[in-house]
Amino acid sequence: MRYKILTVDDSKTVRIIVRKAFKTYDCEILEAGNGVEGLALASKENPDLILLDVTMPVMDGVEMLTKLKSDPQLKGIPVMMLTAEGGRDNVLKIAKIGVRDYLVKPFKEDVLIEKAGRIIDLKPLSEAPAKAKSIFDPADILVVEDKPVIIQQIQEGLKHTPWKFHGVSTQGEAIDCCTRTPPDLMLVSLSLPEESAFTLFRLIRTNVKTKYTPVFALVVKTETAQQQQAQTVGFSAIVTKPIDLGELESKMAKAMNLDTSQRYYAIEGDSMIMRLPENCSPGVIAEAATYLKPKFAEAVDAGHNKVVIDIHQIRSLHMGVIKLLFQAMQTCRELAMQFALVANPQIVAECKGFEDTRGWTFYDSLADAKANLGKAPQLAAV
Amino acid sequence: MPAAEQITASLIRDNIARAVGDVFKTMLGREPKLTPVPENSIDKVWPTQSPLAENPRPHVVGTVGFIGDANGLIYLYLDLGFARHCTCHLLGMTEEELNEAGDEVINDAIGELTNMTVGSFKNGLCDAGYPCKLTIPSILHGSNFTIEPISSVTRYIYHFDCGGHRIIADVLMKQDD
Repeated sequence: MRYKILTVDDSKTVRIIVRKAFKTYDCEILEAGNGVEGLALASKENPDLILLDVTMPVMDGVEMLTKLKSDPQLKGIPVMMLTAEGGRDNVLKIAKIGVRDYLVKPFKEDVLIEKAGRIIDLKPLSEAPAKAKSIFDPADILVVEDKPVIIQQIQEGLKHTPWKFHGVSTQGEAIDCCTRTPPDLMLVSLSLPEESAFTLFRLIRTNVKTKYTPVFALVVKTETAQQQQAQTVGFSAIVTKPIDLGELESKMAKAMNLDTSQRYYAIEGDSMIMRLPENCSPGVIAEAATYLKPKFAEAVDAGHNKVVIDIHQIRSLHMGVIKLLFQAMQTCRELAMQFALVANPQIVAECKGFEDTRGWTFYDSLADAKANLGKAPQLAAV
Repeated sequence: MPAAEQITASLIRDNIARAVGDVFKTMLGREPKLTPVPENSIDKVWPTQSPLAENPRPHVVGTVGFIGDANGLIYLYLDLGFARHCTCHLLGMTEEELNEAGDEVINDAIGELTNMTVGSFKNGLCDAGYPCKLTIPSILHGSNFTIEPISSVTRYIYHFDCGGHRIIADVLMKQDD
């Protein structure tokens, strides 16, 4: 939903500053130069928020506010005063007519956005990026944990990723970091003293810059009450200690909406390579399956009609892997792509043990598979 | 309610220093410093020398009044080059864009900076027990001109150094009738 914000100010400068402040958010800015124009535009456009100055020619802000609040059609529109008129008595008098907030000039654009974000659900325009971020792109991760060893474990365990981990130990430090540069994802330990993890979570969600940032709760496996509380308040995911770093990485990639297809699919030379990792957990299989058809179709569209299905890293065969391989081979046939399989001797031996996979032919290496693709008759998978 | 005569020179000085400081820091990221003034000049009553007597460059002057239990007017003097710089910063414009937009934009931007400064100044007076309201800003352009207030006002002139640029706040406080 695209929100409408009406700024009513006789100063074009202020209207431009307001427009500039909101330009990275998904909203439309409407402008009026005095109370009369403001009321007319409010009736016509029914904005979601009005930013109102006090001292204006023709009709001032107090009169406009009074008329607005006495009009049954318009009285529900939230109004935030944005004015140099800030004496205590004046503020109280205006507040009594009915305003949602009051911002005295001079003002910082950040403060305006923060206050407006408390009234309407402002969404940054970048919520819908033109190009999806991939797992090879850098990301800023903020870890809020009072035990340095946990921060160290996460940093060490995920150092193969391009993600930059920043560790802090208190709620205050976390807020400072978020204010300076909002992170792409946060990990917050529920063991911070005095339930400050939950206070921090509420603050994150009320700040317009971080309200959509994924926040994971870090909690000891046996602390079920805390896990339940975290789920109730809306943490994006629960990560239990001891931390399974592989699972954490996968959850983080998903929460950041990263394109993880490059883990499994790549174009090398004239062929598409489908590569499964050593540990094919159900999560990995599901992730690889999601990308399978679109990636193969993309390859065909780009002129590649050969596929090497490389499972040589897999330690043991299980039904999930077999189903995925069937799906891959079936897709190849549908798209008229040639394919070859690469596996280690253990997997080749295991395949001989299943009726459905007994007839599969494997190559020892990627090079062999590539060299023979197109020469050998197409493999039959029953 | 205290009489307007009781508004002391130090209350005016503190308020204008805070107001100029807040506005230029918040809106422009600058930190103007009140420069020392010669002995006895704070309480000087008109007639006095034009603030532009020693600086013949073109200036833009914003003015906003306040009316109520305290009445007065503040002129904010900026030399044209600095006024243009402030406008560009405030509106996120380049010099070329400002040239295309014309003087109206500079007038409006300096008018708003003055409005914020006088607003902040008079809010201090309101909170000190002198409720008053702002008037609509107006703008003067020119070089080496003199504004001569009527005799029933007390005039206070403050100079600020803002990274090598000079800002002059000319505060005219009307006495009670």
